Amino acid sequence: MKVAFFVTCLADHYFADAAADAVRLLRHLGCEVGFPPGQTCCGQPAYNAGRTREALRMAEHTLDVLAGADAVVLPSGSCATMVKKFYPRLAGEGVSRATALSERTWDLAEFIVRRLGVTRLGDGLSGRRVAVHQGCHALRELRLETEPATLLEGAGAEVVPWDAQEECCGFGGLFSVKMTAVSAAMADRKLETLPDVDWVVSGDGGCVLHLDGRSRARGDAIEFVHLATALWRGVN
Amino acid sequence: MSAGGESSRERILARVARAAASRGRLSHPGALATPAADPVAGFVKCFTSSGGEVVKADRGRPANEWLTDFLQALEPGVVGVAVGPEVPAGLRPRLPDVAAAHAGAGISVAWGAVSESGSLILPSTGTRAVQLLPPVHVVWVPEGRVFARMEDALRELLDGLPAAVGLHSGPSKSADIGRTVVTGVHGPGRCMVVFI
Amino acid sequence: MVRDYAARSREIIRDEPGVREAVTGATIAFDEKRRKGYAEVDADAWRRWAEGVKNHTLTHLDHYLTEAEARLQANGAQVHWAADAAEAREIVIGLATRRAVASVVKGKSMVTEEIDLNPALEEAGIEVIETDLGEYVLQLLEEPPSHILGPALHKSLRQVQDLFAERLNTAPDGDPDTLARAAREVLRNAFIDADMGITGANFLVAETGTVALIENEGNIRLTTSLPRVHVAVVGIEKLLPRMTDLAGFLQLTARAATGQPIGCFVSLIQGPAAEPGDDGPEEVHVVLVDNGRTDVLAHEHAWEALRCVRCGACLNACPVYRQTGGHAYGHVYSGPIGSVLDPGLLGLHDAMPLPFASSLCGACEDACPVRIPIPELLLEWRKEAQDEGLTPWKERAALAGLASVATRPGLYRLAGRIGSRLGARGAGRALPMLGEWARDRALPKPSPRTFRQLWRKGIE
Repeated sequence: MKVAFFVTCLADHYFADAAADAVRLLRHLGCEVGFPPGQTCCGQPAYNAGRTREALRMAEHTLDVLAGADAVVLPSGSCATMVKKFYPRLAGEGVSRATALSERTWDLAEFIVRRLGVTRLGDGLSGRRVAVHQGCHALRELRLETEPATLLEGAGAEVVPWDAQEECCGFGGLFSVKMTAVSAAMADRKLETLPDVDWVVSGDGGCVLHLDGRSRARGDAIEFVHLATALWRGVN
Repeated sequence: MSAGGESSRERILARVARAAASRGRLSHPGALATPAADPVAGFVKCFTSSGGEVVKADRGRPANEWLTDFLQALEPGVVGVAVGPEVPAGLRPRLPDVAAAHAGAGISVAWGAVSESGSLILPSTGTRAVQLLPPVHVVWVPEGRVFARMEDALRELLDGLPAAVGLHSGPSKSADIGRTVVTGVHGPGRCMVVFI
Repeated sequence: MVRDYAARSREIIRDEPGVREAVTGATIAFDEKRRKGYAEVDADAWRRWAEGVKNHTLTHLDHYLTEAEARLQANGAQVHWAADAAEAREIVIGLATRRAVASVVKGKSMVTEEIDLNPALEEAGIEVIETDLGEYVLQLLEEPPSHILGPALHKSLRQVQDLFAERLNTAPDGDPDTLARAAREVLRNAFIDADMGITGANFLVAETGTVALIENEGNIRLTTSLPRVHVAVVGIEKLLPRMTDLAGFLQLTARAATGQPIGCFVSLIQGPAAEPGDDGPEEVHVVLVDNGRTDVLAHEHAWEALRCVRCGACLNACPVYRQTGGHAYGHVYSGPIGSVLDPGLLGLHDAMPLPFASSLCGACEDACPVRIPIPELLLEWRKEAQDEGLTPWKERAALAGLASVATRPGLYRLAGRIGSRLGARGAGRALPMLGEWARDRALPKPSPRTFRQLWRKGIE
């Protein structure tokens, strides 16, 4: 299957190795991965801030760039949600184009489980205890309630229950810099309830930057691993 | 009503009508289908899980004698009672009538009960003070008057609706202090049902 | 009230850590009960039904308001219309003065908080006593409620113990039962002495003119039964068409609020006592309050927020609310629903920055019994705030800049390279937002090479 990889801004700059692992994983699962070079930002920062016109411009650009793709995969639940769920709301006249793209766009974990039908990856993570942080968009918009944990377990990991598993970490894009004290307190709640694990795994780079930044500021020693990297290590 | 009130009424209604007209009037979805459980068993389950008590009368004895002994055996024993005017002589305990504010127990007969919510239906003609002020409320419930669903009960209640109706579904409770549930905060701390 | 959410929330988190602890504990407990309460029924079907009934009612509100008015009058109750808070206060004080009311008992009501009724009554020389246990605690502390359902849930047991020891002479370590008993004694006398009872309403049924009130303590039943005058202050959005609709709403609201099948006490009030045996009030007044609701109703999107039944489920589900409780929001309606209602009721300018006081996580929408799309409505208000220039210019400029760059791939790649070269610290100086980020967090570490660079080299 041909897959257009949409790397997203944060993964490009902060999780480049994880994004490369996502490419490796997709190839390992038999996909032919391409990288449309004109891709930029999906527009989510503007959309969440209420800057609809700017968000629409970025959405239209992305729709152009991804026009020919059979399937688009993003290593970010949040940006995948932007393309899948919010483009059709934004698109106005271009709504049919946005809806068509929506149906071909997948978050990485969603693609592997729901499109490829794969849940067993290997046993590279056996003996490893992990906690999963689900980004809210992946959880409540894409309803990926079990997929990341299923894949991690399918790679041999022990997924440890986390009291605050389904709670927002407080990132929220612009929210994390506008309401920074509340945002940090929300991260604290996640960190305070974290069980004893080797890794915290998440498919959302924004959440990880925020949780990791907060945990380092607190002096915690928690290892955050992007889902793509965790799964690729699970294969081997 | 003052002239100001009159004009506010017209203004509010005009603004409401304008908003409704611009949006289009949406239709009512019809009835909500909730499952109908076995009336009495469902009521007992729901009412007791909310902290209500269901007491079995000794049917071998006259009801009023049984109730008298039952109330006296409570801790603390009931001395004076407040009895609603709807309670027939055969269901009134042989204890002194006192003002509701000083009674150890209030005695009522329910108009009916609802199984799905575990609720007693108490019309205001049963004297509200009797239903609310004593620390213990004993309610006679005719078994044939337990409705499976709230909707059925309220529909039947429409004929001859009294000035007020209380639905009581357990004892008075609050968790406002330290998140600990306490009972008998304002209303009765014990709500007891006896089927007749 | 302080209306700078960002600063106020920071203060509460820093200076009153007990609030975060108490609110988090209480709301998580409420939320778990709500989930259990929903799981016992076909909650999705109930919620869709309730959404439909409310949408129907709101788009026929003129019809149902006049029907309710006619029924209430036929039942012997009196109906008053208040365009705004001042008129509502005037009506209630007028009634109290005419009936020579010296003392009022109140059931917990958000709308009377909204119209600032208590200070006005006190100014008129009338004693006002809040009878909900949590509200009573707050009245003694002279604090506004922090939560729709548990107004004092931000207070610890210790704080109530200290308060009651000082004011009600209870033992310094009195347990909740002892404290509640002490309050009951004071309030029982207040009920018996009061000339007027004032409540809000959960619902007003048009078909019968029924004011419906849900509670657990019994104080509302007493407030509407013992004093000779009962005044119900009712927002015009509280209408329901028929009693059969009420049957569903009583149960759904209770499940959403506390997970209970129904509140321990429900009062259904049609009018003043008329029949023998009824010891209820001689007069019943219903004050129908607009106070911005018709503005919300006319709003293209925000009107959906008028479906709200004030159950508090969205507050309980909200991880943002949990950090501070309601006071940080600076308005009577706090939490997710407050952030979408307040801009409509008060005007967006006065409610800023509440539409931004959310991470848009969506937990509120999943909890809402009438399926109000809160995250979408927050976005609509954000859009209006941007269009009206109510957000900081730096933020607007940054997002406009992002769009310009992101629609030109060459420029986007160049900006990325510059950003990487500057490193996080350098970019922090260039982007003021990163300075805010760094107040509470370590700066992010950029990858040594971007994905684009890795891709060009070839990924193996």
